[in-house]
Amino acid sequence: MAVFMDLNVSFLPDRSDLRSVVETAAHHVYFVNLRVTSFLQEIPTPTPINELIDQLPVVQGRSRPIRVLNRLTVVMSDASHFRPNAPEYRRFDLLAVQPTSEKLFHAACMVYDIDIICVPMTEKLPFFFKRAPINGAIDRGVVFEVSYSAAIRDSTMRRYTIANAVSLMESCKGKVALFLQCFLYQRLDFLALLFGLSDGDAKEAVSSTCRAALLHAETRRTASGIIYTTRSQQEAPRGSADGRFKTGFLYRC
Amino acid sequence: MVRLKSRYLLCEVNVSDRSQLLLLDDRAIMVAVKAAVARTHGDYGAAMCSIRFCVKYLNAHTGIVFLRFPKRCYKLLWSALPFITSIETRGQKIPCFLNCLHVGVKLRVCTKAQYKGNTNYLQPKTNKQLKKHEV
Repeated sequence: MAVFMDLNVSFLPDRSDLRSVVETAAHHVYFVNLRVTSFLQEIPTPTPINELIDQLPVVQGRSRPIRVLNRLTVVMSDASHFRPNAPEYRRFDLLAVQPTSEKLFHAACMVYDIDIICVPMTEKLPFFFKRAPINGAIDRGVVFEVSYSAAIRDSTMRRYTIANAVSLMESCKGKVALFLQCFLYQRLDFLALLFGLSDGDAKEAVSSTCRAALLHAETRRTASGIIYTTRSQQEAPRGSADGRFKTGFLYRC
Repeated sequence: MVRLKSRYLLCEVNVSDRSQLLLLDDRAIMVAVKAAVARTHGDYGAAMCSIRFCVKYLNAHTGIVFLRFPKRCYKLLWSALPFITSIETRGQKIPCFLNCLHVGVKLRVCTKAQYKGNTNYLQPKTNKQLKKHEV
């Protein structure tokens, strides 16, 4: 089973608060992801973690310190908010999108080059989940994020969270493509049972799927081209190399 | 292929005073069921109830009501129905209880069960049968 990770810790401008959050996280999880939600027009550059915290806390019993990654969440109310292939996105380890309409949700599932789709849980969704875009997203490796932090405080939020999460589970038929976001650092696989997942799916939802999202993000950032060579059918003339090779270069900008 | 699976409950509303039945409407029953589910099963029940629950059909003359629940949680929500003691409508509180007669997979099956009019359960309430009794 993959390790536990928390992929959604909000960025706190106060350094001491941030340090205390990361220290708490270090005792329970292995990866922490600092989330930047931008309401501005321009995309902020992520501050390197060593500027924010001098030394990452090392917990006794583990040889390596906690890994802190950077994540950007784009709240989209219009298609122009997310510019595909923008160079600013390369500086972030994880890229997430929060669509607010059905068209944007469909586009995010099928087309956009992202890792995580955040589904708002705290309000009645303006759109219904359809099988086609969700299956398309799962095939591409995009995961869905269920945030339950609002459900802790308020009973109405709890109802909306559970209702929305259950509808999402029904649409993706329990094919696990989601992970839970929390800041309480507990084992949350039992909570996923409440959302309609089976035992195995629930466990995967909090561990393996997070890891899958991280790996998907790595490939998104690093894989930009493939060179392939194939042996062509022509016979080589004397004095030249053994066979003629045809090369091609597939690239993605 | 039935994808979004639901269960239809054929229920009968029993009141002591039959004239009060005519005051019922589907919103009142919906509110009463949701309140009972929230009381009995808390936030989880209320959330499951809000997904695809609705009152499909209500006959105020006979007190027959069809409720639709999602398949995955219909037993949970069904278990909250005995806790309904009254329905509030038009400023009045009508003391009643809900009696579930039949559970169907499709609405059509429930409608057939209603038309069969099992006389062990249903007292003669339809207009035809009332007229028969008058005569």
